[in-house]
Amino acid sequence: MVEYSTTLDAIFHSLADPTRRDLLRRLRPGGQTVGALAEHYSLTFAAVSKHLQVLETARLVRKRRKGREQRVELSAAGLRKADKYLEQYRKLWEGRLDRLETFIKNNK
Amino acid sequence: MEPIKEVVLEKTYNAPLDTVWQAWTNPKQLQQWWGPDNVTIPECEVDLRVGGTFYIVMEAGEAMGPYKGTKWPMKAEFTVVEPQAKLAYSAEAWTEGAKEEMMIDQTTEITFVEEQGKTRVKVKAAIYKMGPKAGMAAEGMQYGFTQQLEKLAKFLA
Repeated sequence: MVEYSTTLDAIFHSLADPTRRDLLRRLRPGGQTVGALAEHYSLTFAAVSKHLQVLETARLVRKRRKGREQRVELSAAGLRKADKYLEQYRKLWEGRLDRLETFIKNNK
Repeated sequence: MEPIKEVVLEKTYNAPLDTVWQAWTNPKQLQQWWGPDNVTIPECEVDLRVGGTFYIVMEAGEAMGPYKGTKWPMKAEFTVVEPQAKLAYSAEAWTEGAKEEMMIDQTTEITFVEEQGKTRVKVKAAIYKMGPKAGMAAEGMQYGFTQQLEKLAKFLA
């Protein structure tokens, strides 16, 4: 349970930052190099690397060596977990709309 | 800015528009259904005008186990108020005692359309920003749902 929450905190901590969210959106199948990603930002290469490190810790991305290059790509496991939790938001609203129906029925 | 999460839902109620509009805008009625299950609404204020405040507090009940007594306030400002047609607000929701880390910024848009005595409600809700520990709120919500499912399973057994 505790370990679970730690992973979850890492995921949401990652998603709380707009640059990191933008990085996730830019990642394409097959991945990109850190250098190619860094070109989109006015940040230093080191700063972009650090953001990617945070995403990697949360297991939202992973690094893979392809020949001489190191490429960054999306990691399905972390993203699925994040998505599963964000789905709670949909469930909250679905439940709310259902309860409104019950409320209306009972108040007729 | 692109939202982190957006949900669009639609539901048709077998009731006239005025009934549904009242349920959404009268604090006493809101308190009875805003939920979720196992959660009470100790506070609710609605100042129904553009710029007016919509404040609602959810409090976890007994069945929420370790979350019991946890309060999740939401403070919103109405951005659109078109009587019996449309409501929109932008809100901050958080967990009491951890406002910064667990803040969730969101917008909600609700449209109401009457069709042959029934009312169709469309909700568009989006999360734009969330604090680093906002996952805990999601976990709390999931706990509530799990409890609910277990209850249902017991009932059906």
